[in-house]
Amino acid sequence: MSNDKDFEISAPRKIKKSVGTKTFEGISYLLLTLGSIICVLPFIIIVSGSFTDNTTILTKGYSLLPRDFTFAAYQTIFKSPKDIIQAYKMNVYYTVVGTGLGLMMITLTGYVISRKEFKYRNTISFLIYFTSIFGGGMIPWYLMYANVLNLKGHTLAIWFPALMSPFLVILMRTFIVGAVPDAITESAKIDGAGHFTIFFRIVLPVLKPGLATVGLFLALGYWNDWYRSSMFSTNSSTWQLQFYLYDLLNATTAMKQMASNVSMKTADLPTESVKLAMAVVATGPVLLFYPFVQRFFVSGITVGAVKG
Amino acid sequence: MKKKLLSAVMTLALLASVVGCGSGSQSAAGALDQQGVSEIPATEATTETAETTEEAAPAAAIDLSEQVDLVFYVMGDAPQDEELVEEALNEKLLEKCNATVDMQFSTWTDFQQKYANEITSQGADLIYIANWLNYGQLASSGAFEELDDMLDTVAPELKALVGDSALGMCKVGGKIYAIPNTWPEYVSNGVKYREDLRAKYDLPVPDSLENLEAYLMGIKENEPNQPLLAVTTEESQGFKTAFDAAWALNFKYSWVNINGLDYGLTANYDTPTDVYDYWFSDDFVEDMKLMKKWADAGFWSKSALSDTNNSDAYKNGLCVAEIAGQNPNKQVTAIADFTNAGEGWESAYVAYGETNGVIYPGHATQNGTAVVRGCKNPERALYVIQTLLCDDEVNAILQYGIKGTHYDVVDGIYKNLQEEAGETPTFPYEGFNTWNMRNGDTKLPQATDVALQEMFDKYAKLGEKTKFPNVNIYDGFSENYEAYSAERSAVGNVMRQYLAPLQAGLVDDVDAAVEDFRTRVKDAGLDKCREEYTKQWVAYCEEYDYK
Amino acid sequence: MKTKYLSGISAICLILTLPFFDWIKLANLVALFSKMGVTMDMAANLYTGYNLYNLLSFVQYSGQGTLGLFAMVLLILVFATLYFNIAHIVRALLNDRNKAKAPNPHKASDLPLLAAAKTAFLFGIFTSAATIAFVLFANIKYKVAGFIPGASVFLILVISVAAYVFTKKLEKVERARYNEHGFAHEFKKNWVLFIMLVPTFVYFMINNYLPMLGVYFAFTSFNFRDGLWASPFTGFKNFEFLMKADLFRLTKNTILYNVVFIGVGNALQIIFAILVSKVTVKWFKKTSQTLMFMPYFVSFVILKVIVYNVFEYQYGLINNFVTQAGAERIDFYNTPSYWPFLITFFYLWKNIGYGMVVYLATIMGIDNEIYEAAKVDGAGELQQIRYITLPHIRPTFIILLLYALGSIMKGQFELFYQLIGNNGVLFNVSDIFDTYVYRITTTQPLSIGLGTAAGLYQSIFGFLIIVVVNFLVKKKNPEYALF
Repeated sequence: MSNDKDFEISAPRKIKKSVGTKTFEGISYLLLTLGSIICVLPFIIIVSGSFTDNTTILTKGYSLLPRDFTFAAYQTIFKSPKDIIQAYKMNVYYTVVGTGLGLMMITLTGYVISRKEFKYRNTISFLIYFTSIFGGGMIPWYLMYANVLNLKGHTLAIWFPALMSPFLVILMRTFIVGAVPDAITESAKIDGAGHFTIFFRIVLPVLKPGLATVGLFLALGYWNDWYRSSMFSTNSSTWQLQFYLYDLLNATTAMKQMASNVSMKTADLPTESVKLAMAVVATGPVLLFYPFVQRFFVSGITVGAVKG
Repeated sequence: MKKKLLSAVMTLALLASVVGCGSGSQSAAGALDQQGVSEIPATEATTETAETTEEAAPAAAIDLSEQVDLVFYVMGDAPQDEELVEEALNEKLLEKCNATVDMQFSTWTDFQQKYANEITSQGADLIYIANWLNYGQLASSGAFEELDDMLDTVAPELKALVGDSALGMCKVGGKIYAIPNTWPEYVSNGVKYREDLRAKYDLPVPDSLENLEAYLMGIKENEPNQPLLAVTTEESQGFKTAFDAAWALNFKYSWVNINGLDYGLTANYDTPTDVYDYWFSDDFVEDMKLMKKWADAGFWSKSALSDTNNSDAYKNGLCVAEIAGQNPNKQVTAIADFTNAGEGWESAYVAYGETNGVIYPGHATQNGTAVVRGCKNPERALYVIQTLLCDDEVNAILQYGIKGTHYDVVDGIYKNLQEEAGETPTFPYEGFNTWNMRNGDTKLPQATDVALQEMFDKYAKLGEKTKFPNVNIYDGFSENYEAYSAERSAVGNVMRQYLAPLQAGLVDDVDAAVEDFRTRVKDAGLDKCREEYTKQWVAYCEEYDYK
Repeated sequence: MKTKYLSGISAICLILTLPFFDWIKLANLVALFSKMGVTMDMAANLYTGYNLYNLLSFVQYSGQGTLGLFAMVLLILVFATLYFNIAHIVRALLNDRNKAKAPNPHKASDLPLLAAAKTAFLFGIFTSAATIAFVLFANIKYKVAGFIPGASVFLILVISVAAYVFTKKLEKVERARYNEHGFAHEFKKNWVLFIMLVPTFVYFMINNYLPMLGVYFAFTSFNFRDGLWASPFTGFKNFEFLMKADLFRLTKNTILYNVVFIGVGNALQIIFAILVSKVTVKWFKKTSQTLMFMPYFVSFVILKVIVYNVFEYQYGLINNFVTQAGAERIDFYNTPSYWPFLITFFYLWKNIGYGMVVYLATIMGIDNEIYEAAKVDGAGELQQIRYITLPHIRPTFIILLLYALGSIMKGQFELFYQLIGNNGVLFNVSDIFDTYVYRITTTQPLSIGLGTAAGLYQSIFGFLIIVVVNFLVKKKNPEYALF
């Protein structure tokens, strides 16, 4: 970049550059607007559908604006506000605990397997990656938690299994390798810094985008999960939010099916609009929270600042 | 050096191989022959079963000295007042059997998977069983405790109440593994249709293929924009049909079971052991042509194969008849739905059996209770089942909650007090979903049950006239497909891929498509499945003397 | 020179592990068989002696599921012993050449060879000891002295132990000479790092490695009477249904879809990440990013309903437009050729915003000074992307790519299942491995083995691919390797 030839031709380009940049930006805006519209359209359909009368959805289909405006779907979901508030509370609890602990464990692991001086880093990377390919299936996994550890009905069984994932560990390793040049840690080591000092003082500060990404993925995973409640909860007070909503819907459809086998009363739910309202209820808080995470993705960092 | 090494290795290897081959193995049967043994004494293999019977034998009178806490696993969601009712229930149970019951609920999410998990992990003591939860397969695979001997020693009252014939229906491999409920119900399938539209356009009652066609055609002519049938693949996932429209064919045949037997085999109700081939018959081609005719006439959407959401269609007027998976219970629900909708719609129902002459009540294994293998106190568990089912006081708490708080009885009819007051009931009717604890003698009817009972009475009368009066032959049969599971899976796959479009009338040339389906399903191993299946089915019929 | 003797010993062990020798012999046949419940008919398939390779056939034909898992562990051990002995011998044969090739004569130690020898002998010890343990276990189980270890078991045990001790000694000398260190030293030096890994170790042990024993279920026919670990061993019976399937079509579909998903998906994610990073107006940047993230929250269940409403034949949105325009209706749900595109579109739609975050974070991690310097040097936008952004993204891209390769036979079940459902007409283009397995397993609800077998097939497929690809990548640039 800094040799003479480049320098020579750079001068006349100066005017051109701004034109090029402008065109480039113009295209950026155009494409992003287009992409955003495609992505947001179905969501608008969902939101307006959630305010539409169930029968109208079934007979007239979906639309961009709500027809036959009604809160019926939300009333069904918030039928017992106490329960849904409990589900929200539990979801926040699982998400905070799981993301906090998980992020710590993932980052530490990522740090260890990114250390060049660590002889077994590849072996450990392999052992972690291996779990993403081979698995014993659901039943031994279930028995491990339900029978061996006897955690059925315990909240631990709901947040523990998702603390880490091989994908996030490997991703974190990549972020650390990319963000922290070896030279910096080497010089810190020569200055007599231990691993914990290097980790907290040098690695973490420059790792913000990586931490934000992995944290976001972890948190989203926790927020959107319903499966572990389904498997391990024995009491509705420990339900995850998504399970609370999902089960509401499943109960209606399953009971309707079940009615071909058993004489029983089936619950009547405006299923279509409830399905959509569920998406809104579960997603809303995340969208409110997202901008706080976003600031790590929208402004760059300067490693030099840390160096100095 | 290298040579030396090599020769050393070779010598060693040779030496080793001589040692090894010297002690080479021979056939175990041959070895036994040499020893002059022709029969192996088979005493020890049955130790386990011997032990369990031993345990059961000395318990002439049940020992209630120690308190036992049992887990009772049932389907569905917990009622809001779970704890309150459980407390009241346990108070009585402690007094009467020195036991408590902790109700655990599957929830309706992934319930089939979780049900299997619960049995595998032996987390529960008592469990709800049903034929739609694979009771037969589970029992024959050893998931439940045998109850034969215990019934005599621990629960004679229960045995008397249920009766030998119903208990006999719960037998798998000659052993009783479950206690059925004692409330007879008819879940016979049929067609639900819009009586108001039928009357308005003066159309025939859809009680046969021709009349159903005329009914639908009539509506189509008068209201061209009205969708007619909401049929999907949902109710046709087994080995009988692949698309719901084919259910209508039940008007035509008096088969032993709705949609016949598995693998395109079938038999008539009157001669269940005379199994015959349906898929390779001319009837089948004719029926598929009818399906195409209906599809072309627009009776259902051309995209129906991918539609899975039809449960609300009838209720919202998006179809004028439902033909798959409908039973009296659903008709009763539909009546209530239409009343709520207030559009002046009317629902009527005609059972296939009314036309084809085959009608029977639900099988005993429809709703039952079993003791999970591994339960530490199987006797007490059975004793608790007896109390729950036979003791009126306990049964009422289990089924309806607390009298005065949750429900009351007015003129012999159940009334939910909270529902009356316009609140959400915290313990609805059968709030624990214990349909397996329905006691026919004491079950409180709900207001809606009147219409249901009327239908039941009508079917009971028709059922009297069949060859096996009011006996459900088919539902007690459970297939053991271990020997041909791979072929079976392949056949199922061919059905999804080639039979479904046929039955949905989406093919251009029916004859060619039928031929294609037939070759493919044969290639998948149909014959092997059929052969084994027929053997098992005939053996089953002979065991219960359905001839 | 002493290393030569080691490879000689390895060769002996190797020969002893080959299936010429009986490792386990049966005695007291009558008593044993009667305890096992083996009949004369079953005995026809049995032998009086077994090696570890065919021990499972004994388990299968005698119906002794209880011994199955142990026998399988022995089989894996004996294969590992075989592999490590061969690896050791090959290394020994190539040792001189490798040493000569070593760039630095000071590094030309025998240590790698000795490490290989150690592993080989260690596995020899494991295998023979485990075999003896198996015999004890079985004898206690049946309360009959029915199993006797063969002479070769003890031979291997003794030889291996002796060789291991000898190797250790050689290693010590070699280490002292080249100033290298073993595990103990590494632990002393980096014990902090080990401590950092303790929670991770506990987590993966509980959540992944211990449940992995369940892979064994792929070879059994589960029943509740015998329980999970004693159900009959049935060999490859659970894999039969895969043979019955059109494996070629399933594999082809699965891999093609995945390749397109990975390739096009990553390309679009990178493009949009760069676009977002280049936008200067803050609110636009934030909004567009948020909006593109939203599809991630739309569950497939809802997506299915919307898609069905759009593409349905009679009342669908598109066909409404089409008929209003006076054209023929389009029969989407009976025309397979549309669906590869539709499926791909909806995959991309749902995942671009989510996957973009990784690249965005990577771009944001690039030191701003580099761009500033480039601008001073007069580099245009495209040049900046070409020479700064893309090279910085490359490691992330390659790692994500490698990671995805291991799961190339798995994937996106929900997407396919919800969009297509049970529509057999479309199966030729839309059936992937997971949807097929799902259809099969629903017909056999109690079979644990079926799903496990299918999973094992996918795992092995992915594993072989990833090991080969990772090896190639590592050869080119160790920085980019996954492990």
